[in-house]
Amino acid sequence: MNNGAATRRLLLPGSTLYVIFFAIPLAILGLYSFWTQVDFKMHPGFTLEHYHAVLTTSLYRSVFLRTIIVAILTSIIVVPIAYILSYIMQFVFPRKGRILFDIILVSMFSGYLVRIYAWRTILGKEGLLNAALIQLRIITKPITFLIFSNWSIAITLVGLLIPLALLPISSSMVNVSKDHLEVAEDLGSRGLKMHRTILIPMVLPGISTAFAISFILAAGDFVVPRMVGGTNGVMVGNLIADQFKGLAPNWPLGAALAISVLAILIAIHSVTMRLIREFTRW
Amino acid sequence: MVISRKRFRRSLRNLAPTIFVGVVLTYLFAPVIVTVLFSFTTSPRLSLPIEGFTLEWYKSAFGNPLFIDATRNTLILAFVSAIVAVLFGTSFAFGITSLKGRRRSIALTGSLLPAAIPALVLGISMAVFFSSIGSTQGLINAAIGHAVLSMPFVILTMNARLETFDFTTLEAARDLGASPLQTFRDITLPLIRTAVIGAGLLAVALSLDEFVVTWFNIGNEMTIPILIWGLLRRGIDPSINALASVVLVSLIIIVTVSNRLTNRTEK
Repeated sequence: MNNGAATRRLLLPGSTLYVIFFAIPLAILGLYSFWTQVDFKMHPGFTLEHYHAVLTTSLYRSVFLRTIIVAILTSIIVVPIAYILSYIMQFVFPRKGRILFDIILVSMFSGYLVRIYAWRTILGKEGLLNAALIQLRIITKPITFLIFSNWSIAITLVGLLIPLALLPISSSMVNVSKDHLEVAEDLGSRGLKMHRTILIPMVLPGISTAFAISFILAAGDFVVPRMVGGTNGVMVGNLIADQFKGLAPNWPLGAALAISVLAILIAIHSVTMRLIREFTRW
Repeated sequence: MVISRKRFRRSLRNLAPTIFVGVVLTYLFAPVIVTVLFSFTTSPRLSLPIEGFTLEWYKSAFGNPLFIDATRNTLILAFVSAIVAVLFGTSFAFGITSLKGRRRSIALTGSLLPAAIPALVLGISMAVFFSSIGSTQGLINAAIGHAVLSMPFVILTMNARLETFDFTTLEAARDLGASPLQTFRDITLPLIRTAVIGAGLLAVALSLDEFVVTWFNIGNEMTIPILIWGLLRRGIDPSINALASVVLVSLIIIVTVSNRLTNRTEK
């Protein structure tokens, strides 16, 4: 089993699938972003007009900005929750941790579309939350800012992303033993200081992955804004989806939008990681 | 008395974490509970206390003329994509075990990439690719999309299983004269079987629930998530909750079984 030819044979089918149906399609998407479209036909060439449009059209700029804000808001809620959960599962309730993890994992697979739709039922003007609050006489008029706003988008995304952020954080926390933390506490790192100087730096790879996953998936989603975002709740995902499935498709423009999103995501992610590293240095 | 005071203090210290976990679980499962609850109530709008239970919405969900088609296609997609993902993913995970250091981490990270970019980008890039080679959208395209989406999860699961896999048993079998095929059938497969089934079920669950990549690649074919999407866009229809509850329950069963299998370490 330990020779190169056998290894290559084992890796070959999967790699081939990835190259043909993942890498090449992405490359073609990148290529198309420089092409033009005339009367629904693609014309090869090299033009930067779509990127120019992305950068200069005020609608696109505001949608990009809004997407980034929502995605950052979502990730800075999701990642700490996932970190605290992971800490509780491993160090506070170590015996119940496993079952808790399984339960949270199950929620990850409890119907993507349906969960989004259910949030509309919960947060809506005549929704569950308002009905309950009115019955309990906490409020007299329905709260309306919760639905069809950046808030409803963030609330829904947070619910979708907590399990996904939990996975990398808890898998890097598994390597930390209780002894580590006890030694740290004996040496005077207690409470928040222990987290800041010991635990967070130790699980930083997991935190970084969790941040990247939640940021990317939040910024790339188009179903959540479409269903709970209302008429003003357009995010970049909607712009992209419309270029492929909308009334007036424009693939090259959609491709340029998608590539721009990926580029921005990578840039923001690297800046954030820098910041986290600064913050946790001791 | 001393013990009870100690216990009291400990339970007080555990209060905050317990509340935190409770709030998060409520948050995660509120949509699930709402969906299932409303699939049984006569009124699609909320009125407390809830009155009037009915199976009407289940009847209308199953009576939807598109339901049979959608179910069939959903099952085909799940089955085909899971088999492809498991075969290719397991083989890949075995390949990774004999890589060392940097090459190993590159292979592993690379194999997880499809799960790390938005499904939207994956979906449109595949749609663009298939159209550029002149392939019309349909079930096959969607099945390939699902396989690519599931591969990272299969590879992760199998990679975790193989970390505790004793490769010397394979060498022993070979030394005793077993052919590679025999070794695989009689030694490797029994040892990894539950993990493989677990990974396969995970792939099935991912596929059953997949909407985005499907939507961009399946053309005019129907699946359960596509059907739900169509109903959602038409407005409030309680049969959505019924349809969704059926999917939910199947997903929860599949994922729970899968989880049990992949966590069991067989000897």
